[in-house]
Amino acid sequence: MTTPPPIKRQKREEYRRELAAQQAVGHGDVEVKLPQKRFFRQRAHANPFSDHKLEYPLSPAHMDWSPHYPAFVDNDSSQINLAGARKLTKDVEVVDIGCGFGGLLIGLAPLLPETLMVGMEIRISVLEFVTSRIQALRAQQHRLKAAAASQNSEAALAEVKKAAEEANVGGQQADEAGTMSSIIPGNYENVAGIRSNTMKFLPNFFGHHQLSKIFICFPDPHFKARKHKMRIISESLNAEYAYVLRPGGLLYTITDVEEYHHWVLRHFQYGTDQDGEAERKAGGIKDLWERVPDEELEADPCVRVMKFETEESKKVTRNKGNKYVAVFRRKADPEWA
Amino acid sequence: MASFQHPFQCLQYVNRLADGQQDVLVASAGRHLYTYDAATGQRLDVWPQDVDTSESAGADSTEAQAHLEKEQNPSSVSKEQAEQQPAPKKGSKDKGPAWSNIPLVVVSLDGKYVAAVTAEDKCIRVFTLSEEGKLQELSSRTMPKRPSALTLNPDGQTLLCGDKFGDAYSLPLIPGDYVKRAEVQHYKPLGPAATSLTVHTKRNLLSLEQQRQQLSAEKKAAAGEKEALNFEHQLIIGHVSVLLDLISASVSGESPDSRARSYILTADRDEHIRVSRGLPQAHVIEQYCLGHTSFVSKLCIPSWAPKVLVSGGGDGYLIVWNWTEGQIMQKISLDEVVQTQDVIVRGIWEVSLQQPAGPVNAILVGLEGLSQLLSFTLEDDHTLKFQGTIQLSGNVFDVTGIPSKNTVAVCVDTIREPNSTNMWKSSPGTPQTLIETFQVSSSEGSLSWSPADDSMVTEINLAGTTDLPVNLEPNQKKVFDDSLYTLVNLRKMKFYD
Repeated sequence: MTTPPPIKRQKREEYRRELAAQQAVGHGDVEVKLPQKRFFRQRAHANPFSDHKLEYPLSPAHMDWSPHYPAFVDNDSSQINLAGARKLTKDVEVVDIGCGFGGLLIGLAPLLPETLMVGMEIRISVLEFVTSRIQALRAQQHRLKAAAASQNSEAALAEVKKAAEEANVGGQQADEAGTMSSIIPGNYENVAGIRSNTMKFLPNFFGHHQLSKIFICFPDPHFKARKHKMRIISESLNAEYAYVLRPGGLLYTITDVEEYHHWVLRHFQYGTDQDGEAERKAGGIKDLWERVPDEELEADPCVRVMKFETEESKKVTRNKGNKYVAVFRRKADPEWA
Repeated sequence: MASFQHPFQCLQYVNRLADGQQDVLVASAGRHLYTYDAATGQRLDVWPQDVDTSESAGADSTEAQAHLEKEQNPSSVSKEQAEQQPAPKKGSKDKGPAWSNIPLVVVSLDGKYVAAVTAEDKCIRVFTLSEEGKLQELSSRTMPKRPSALTLNPDGQTLLCGDKFGDAYSLPLIPGDYVKRAEVQHYKPLGPAATSLTVHTKRNLLSLEQQRQQLSAEKKAAAGEKEALNFEHQLIIGHVSVLLDLISASVSGESPDSRARSYILTADRDEHIRVSRGLPQAHVIEQYCLGHTSFVSKLCIPSWAPKVLVSGGGDGYLIVWNWTEGQIMQKISLDEVVQTQDVIVRGIWEVSLQQPAGPVNAILVGLEGLSQLLSFTLEDDHTLKFQGTIQLSGNVFDVTGIPSKNTVAVCVDTIREPNSTNMWKSSPGTPQTLIETFQVSSSEGSLSWSPADDSMVTEINLAGTTDLPVNLEPNQKKVFDDSLYTLVNLRKMKFYD
């Protein structure tokens, strides 16, 4: 005899089924609702050393991006990659490592409408939320565009305007439960989420110097010293980030844990203790990175999104926590020794 | 009744003829390192010299058993043996060394030093190899995790060591006086790194409070830092995976006046081959060679074709790469070559033998638990051509070329039936075949290998190694099997929906 799954799980499954059905109808007249986070929660930690059941391409040239960015698929169907998948008109060049519920992607989407951005998340349920959220946002955008185009009347425009105003009054652009009521640049066609363990498989997705920005926002702090090897920032991983990031590209980090912030600085060899660090050999990871000064960061809209629009940053704001930002620019490869 | 003897796990030829000295073979079997005169096969030294292995093999086997059954009480070991033993170890009560096998042996370019890894105690040990072929232990350095790959940097002065935690370290071959670097005062919070601003749930807050209390109670004890490695070392490369092989390579520059560029290649359990710059720029990753669909256990760059990489692992393919470009030149299905399912590459060796018509270069490939070597030659278009197999009397463990005799020596499994990793022979042969040698003849681009008649081999096989205990229980046998055949455990679990 098998016991039925717990009621919570039953409800989740039912909710997700309905959501999937609703989205399958797609761009019909039905208003597509955004998914609710509470049906997708998952414990905050995943073991990056475990094999999991992951799908990843053999190499970047084998990655099929076409289902993730349907609006950017090359019209020429003869353009296929090594795995026989349709190519895109451009490469993905912004990655949010550990994207969580996708707040950063949604915030960045209108800022860089012509740039393909991907969020990578190891937790399966959270990633389902991101995918579902992006689907819903795209569907809403589609509906709004269709409405604006077909009627093209003042009435319709007024309606859209009114809705947009309402949304702005609420101070909430895209509320979880609500709907997005203005047309935004890029229509969320430029963002996607995929499940992956970037600590192991980043080079399977991205080639040498492919990326222009990497975001690492509020990473799992792994407080215990025994678990520090699981941290997403380390000198050896920074070498890998430098491989996929092009010279001049930026790696953004933000955390609310002061100790982790210092860990980040230390592992980019920007210690708080200059004399100790100066002792290190010249040939360190510092060859590859320079810290971006704060003045420059203030002018960077991406930093604002990272600081105020991700779910985690909102939570930190609510709890009146601190936010520590460090951004590093990829230098050109050093001369061969 | 004769008992089984430990097979040679590693075999290395040390060429010292240029220095006017005899050339030497260094081999590891069980817990011991052996040196032999490569010309005559005469045994020159055994390390560690806890017991005279040729005479009191029985006592030794007791020890091995003691190692297997860890709860062994010391009184059962004969007094005689306890006296015989000079007891060079630190552990006072423990009779045997703290390891059961020596999986990695590296010889320095000048033939003056031997570096070996002892398995269980994670130690890199460096020896001097004297003119008489004696081994003298210079240093032993315990690594944080068990080393899985060991090689020499092209400068000949630095050891590169990869471990099962995915990290690669560089350490000087000869450790100098290590002055512990003044402990860098990192930013250290007084309490736990978490604060009430970063954790919010009731339980987390509670445990945070507990942590604080504990911390203040143990303040003094906490001052004692976790003991760091007390020798010079540098973390140079890290994979989030098991590092399985690490080699260094050097490629001459494009233009004649540019200097040669050195590289470090690392292979891991997650199908990656990473190409990093050599020291001191190992943090600059130049390339990934992606194409294997299972773990990559072995890398080989032939000295005569430095732009070619041959790699193999758990997916049954040998891949030939233009590794500086990350480009696949050829994929060879080994399952087809040997007509066996699920083969795993255990070793890839380059050998270069002098023939009247000129040097013969070959790539030999050994598969886990198979008693044959696959022979290949590298064609001009940088592809491999299969040249048939060399049949051996047991599963292949290691291969080394012996240039002074123009032969190839192979050490094989003496204990298990050929092509099996767990079926023991019903009885050991006498003498047991520990190594075999082969010579090659080539005509019109095809090679044929034949056994070489060499008294050196007879001598080494006759002298034997140490005996295994008689009458082992199946689970004890399994411990021996698992210590020599580890690769199959690297396969990932297959997930079914």
